[in-house]
Amino acid sequence: MVQEIIKYPTPPSVEYGTDVRNFNEDIFSLIEDLKDTINANNLEALAAFQIGSYFNVVVIKEEDGTFLELINPRLISTKDKITTIETTAYFPNRSAEIQRHDAISIIYQDRDATQCSLKASGARSVLIQRKLDYNFGATFLSKLSKQEKAKFEKQLEFGSDIVISESCPTTFKRDYFVKASNILLIAMVLLLGASFFVSDAIHSGMWNIQLTLSLVALVTNIGYFFYAHYEAKLYTSCVSCQSGNIIGTTLIALVKIVVITIVSYFLI
Amino acid sequence: MARLVVLGGGVSGHTAATFAAEWLGSAHEVVVVTPNAKWNWIPSNIWVGVGQMTKEDVTFDLAPVYAKAGIKYHQAKALGIHPEGNETSDKPYVVIESTEAGKAGQIENIEYDYLINATGPKLNFAATPGLGDANGLGEFTVSVCTADHATHANEELQKAIEKMKKGERQKFLIGTGHGMCTCQGAAFEYIFNIEHELKKAGVRDMAEIKWISNESFLGDFGVGGLHMKAMGFAVSSKIFAESLFAERDVDWIIGAHVNKVEKGKVHYELLDGSMGEEEFDFSMLIPPFAGVGLKAINKAGEDITATVFAPNGFMKVDANYAAGAYENWKASDWPKTYQNPTYKNLFACGIAFAPPHPISKPMSSPNGTPINPTPPRTGMPSGIMGKAVAHSVCDLITKGPDAPLHEASMAHMGAACVASAGKGLFTGTAAAMTIYPVVPDFEKYPGTGRDTDYTFGEIGLAGHWIKHILHHLFIWKAKLKAGWTLIPE
Repeated sequence: MVQEIIKYPTPPSVEYGTDVRNFNEDIFSLIEDLKDTINANNLEALAAFQIGSYFNVVVIKEEDGTFLELINPRLISTKDKITTIETTAYFPNRSAEIQRHDAISIIYQDRDATQCSLKASGARSVLIQRKLDYNFGATFLSKLSKQEKAKFEKQLEFGSDIVISESCPTTFKRDYFVKASNILLIAMVLLLGASFFVSDAIHSGMWNIQLTLSLVALVTNIGYFFYAHYEAKLYTSCVSCQSGNIIGTTLIALVKIVVITIVSYFLI
Repeated sequence: MARLVVLGGGVSGHTAATFAAEWLGSAHEVVVVTPNAKWNWIPSNIWVGVGQMTKEDVTFDLAPVYAKAGIKYHQAKALGIHPEGNETSDKPYVVIESTEAGKAGQIENIEYDYLINATGPKLNFAATPGLGDANGLGEFTVSVCTADHATHANEELQKAIEKMKKGERQKFLIGTGHGMCTCQGAAFEYIFNIEHELKKAGVRDMAEIKWISNESFLGDFGVGGLHMKAMGFAVSSKIFAESLFAERDVDWIIGAHVNKVEKGKVHYELLDGSMGEEEFDFSMLIPPFAGVGLKAINKAGEDITATVFAPNGFMKVDANYAAGAYENWKASDWPKTYQNPTYKNLFACGIAFAPPHPISKPMSSPNGTPINPTPPRTGMPSGIMGKAVAHSVCDLITKGPDAPLHEASMAHMGAACVASAGKGLFTGTAAAMTIYPVVPDFEKYPGTGRDTDYTFGEIGLAGHWIKHILHHLFIWKAKLKAGWTLIPE
């Protein structure tokens, strides 16, 4: 049965890369769906993840019209690197420059769960690498260089955040607290630097300003800490790891404030 | 007065012994038998191995800590368990051999009412020819498994850096030294700390750095991989690891069973059956783990080691060792109470218990060589198990033999791991990862077997700070300083 191919801006699931354990009718049916969908859309290959399945299955259409079924494929070794211009069904009518391995060796299982191996090079190697990435939850965006990614994101109507899991964004409102804290810290450093060039009479006033700035920065960071935890709880995917991140970010900012304030106390 | 004997003073054994002493008080006796005079915070050995910490920073003397806790301490290694006593007494006992200076080699029997086996692993360097032998680490590679190994690794690293400063290119090969290794995370930390240090030393361009491991995909880490958030994306640890390796220009070989090590060269077999060789100037390869070789003897003096221990030398507990093929594996195969099925006053925790099967997908080459990570049982899960087992034993002692046992199944337990990728107050990075449950539960969480709400990770400077704070926090806890019981495992 022809299945719908998940396309941008529909975010892919965070469920992926599940190895097939039971080689049963469900899996064989999934493989047939992949074949039908490839034919209906005139594609070279499809990863199960692209039609919403979490199983680690890839089907490739050979030149002679037959299909190569890769169950639980693993990329074992690589040779040489090449830069290619790739297109993918997830981002229709878009292309990007990506660095891939020119030659690869993979292992996989067939329908009988027998382990097989395959070597590929050139375009076939690139195709397999791209499909393997899909099965581990990634579009080719994660393989772009920073520059290429920035260029690619400009073409995307909703940016790349949408590509993240359904529940964990990459930008948060709490980032405004961090930005405010950083501005305050820069102001404190500038004030500290300026104190070397003014008369002693002005120092007293400068110290008061510096103290005020440090207190505001302190309050900003306390605000960040509590708001960030509140915000993290809105995205359950993020809570566990981001708690550590929030604590670390707050600690770093507090140390910076304390250091600048102490230095200012002695120098201003 | 009951006597609890704990074999091993690592994360799991130390946790079990100290909590048991705290809960039992002076009414009962807690005895620790461990061959080491010092406690070692093993996760920080990585930083010793790159010269960012010293052995003294990651170790401390056990004797004064145990004296303070009222624990009787034997610096000795256990040789055998006699769970039925002997022909003259029904009282079970362990045979130990002292490793203390001046008493080394002296044999002693210690009777017990309850025994916790938390010996940790034998570093089985002898499993790979050239990696080492029965005496330990060989001459061709280094290790970061102990503080002394890590100190030696750093000495060799500094020599390599000096060579590079003189214009001599160096090839680094880091990873696992056998097809059945665990602890890929430690090797992962070490390779990126080396890369970081080489950059700091200004010699990164003189180095070729390569990863070799038995994982079937990068980022497996022995747990079948997990989600990572990197570069603004939620992706598999495979994609995260591949990106990190590419970003730091570190090449990789995976699905590899290192079958021989020579001076400056390793030989390996890949999962596709092909054979290869890789040269190196500096190599850190983690050895496979095995049980420490404890024997079990019954009352009649017969060897019952095969009854008490699995063939790999780890102690059998309440796990399902007959789970069979991969498709039959269940979360319920994993032990809950860590009680030995034959002798109910025997428990094993940490690395010392025999897991029912791997967590990662079992794989082998067409030649029949098994190549897959064995399950990690270190760090946070190890501490949680130790505490649960101590709790059970304390209840059995104070409430009687019918007291319900406490459970700490790795299939119901989450774990947090902070993997360093370079040390530095402002330049450091670490990947903070949480995973729940450690052992996938495919029935409860169809698909990946994990709760994706609580299986996540992120890399950055904040992670490094957390790791550094944890270093001090856990050493504080292990030294039983104020508030130690409040610090989680």
